[in-house]
Amino acid sequence: MTPWPRCTPRTQAALGLALCALLAWPALRQALEASMWRHMVLQFPLLMGVGALLAAALPPRAHTVVSRWNAHGIAGLVLVAGVLAVLMVPRVLDLALREPAIEISKCAALLGAGAALRLSWRAAGLVVQGFFLGNVLPMTAVVGQLYIDTPLRLCNAYLLDDQARLGQWLVGLAALLALGWLARVGWWTVRREGDAIAVKNA
Amino acid sequence: MLRTAVLSLLLALCGWAAANWLTHGFQVWTDEGARRLEVALHPVDAPRVAVDGPGVAAPDLPALLAQDGGATIADFIYTRCQTVCLSLGSTFQQLQAALQADAEAGHPANVRLLSISFDGAHDHPAVLLAYARGLHADPALWRFARVPDAAQQQALLRRLGVVVVPNGRGDYEHNAALLVFDARGRMVRVFDITEQQLALDYARHLARNAP
Repeated sequence: MTPWPRCTPRTQAALGLALCALLAWPALRQALEASMWRHMVLQFPLLMGVGALLAAALPPRAHTVVSRWNAHGIAGLVLVAGVLAVLMVPRVLDLALREPAIEISKCAALLGAGAALRLSWRAAGLVVQGFFLGNVLPMTAVVGQLYIDTPLRLCNAYLLDDQARLGQWLVGLAALLALGWLARVGWWTVRREGDAIAVKNA
Repeated sequence: MLRTAVLSLLLALCGWAAANWLTHGFQVWTDEGARRLEVALHPVDAPRVAVDGPGVAAPDLPALLAQDGGATIADFIYTRCQTVCLSLGSTFQQLQAALQADAEAGHPANVRLLSISFDGAHDHPAVLLAYARGLHADPALWRFARVPDAAQQQALLRRLGVVVVPNGRGDYEHNAALLVFDARGRMVRVFDITEQQLALDYARHLARNAP
């Protein structure tokens, strides 16, 4: 899950801070939040990316403490799934535009989720990863399909066609992520079998 | 592992609590649903904003709503609207017909209709008058008003939870609804435009029980 393996932790954290400042910049924030699909499909993952980059700055001792409370990455992935589930309630988007406290909480939750995802993903292993994705991705796709199908505007601040476009994005992203993960699992399995054969032949 | 289990459980509980708060106990999922529920639980006072319009003598909105006692069903419109306001217009025409039928049957309900423009810069009283005539509005039952001051108009929309979004084609999208006010100028219920009979019955009931 490390975005750029060659980046030192310090560079990553600096990059995270810079991106964080950029996202907090009012003009960009407004541009992202002016549309429902940009709000959810661009701003949400970017904030999670910031969280993941900032997590690089954690000292090794903190990693030990975190992993003591996060066996197999389970607690972290529960956090991520919970944050994503709550943030898919349409009311959040309207409230975030109106109430600064909700907006700050939303951003903090996404930063935390990004960091938790990074700290938990490797430790999770394929089974826990599969369980996590098996919950989060269908949820995303179902919410997306609801956004496409409903004739009602679910957010007062956004238009109906914007909502349908967001739905298409969510369904598409869920499918892409599922395929991406399956491809990785397939590749990893093939490589392991290849290694096993090589060991046997040696 | 125990620590992980405890922390996971705690996190799941936090998520549940957040969702519970956000959806008012899993009753509403949208901000509009929450607004309607909150208004029903805690009526909202109409702010003291100056209004004008054809035949409107009251200086501000609470005074306009308090005129003649009784109840008022209000909606937000703009006269250049070609979409949802047209359906609101026909809803209000049907409400007006029902109120006229009440009066003819000898038991007039003390219910008034009020269309408030959120395009105060364009919808001058003369424009509103022409619009009202086009809808065959009965001036005794159905009044039209605007808030001339832009800042006050904004304050009114915010207080009543009306969100107006330009749709990029020169029109506005807004959470059109039927707002029922009592004689004290409090918004007591918000009904969907499809719930006009419910709104009418509720307003009649309010007007009957008005002091």
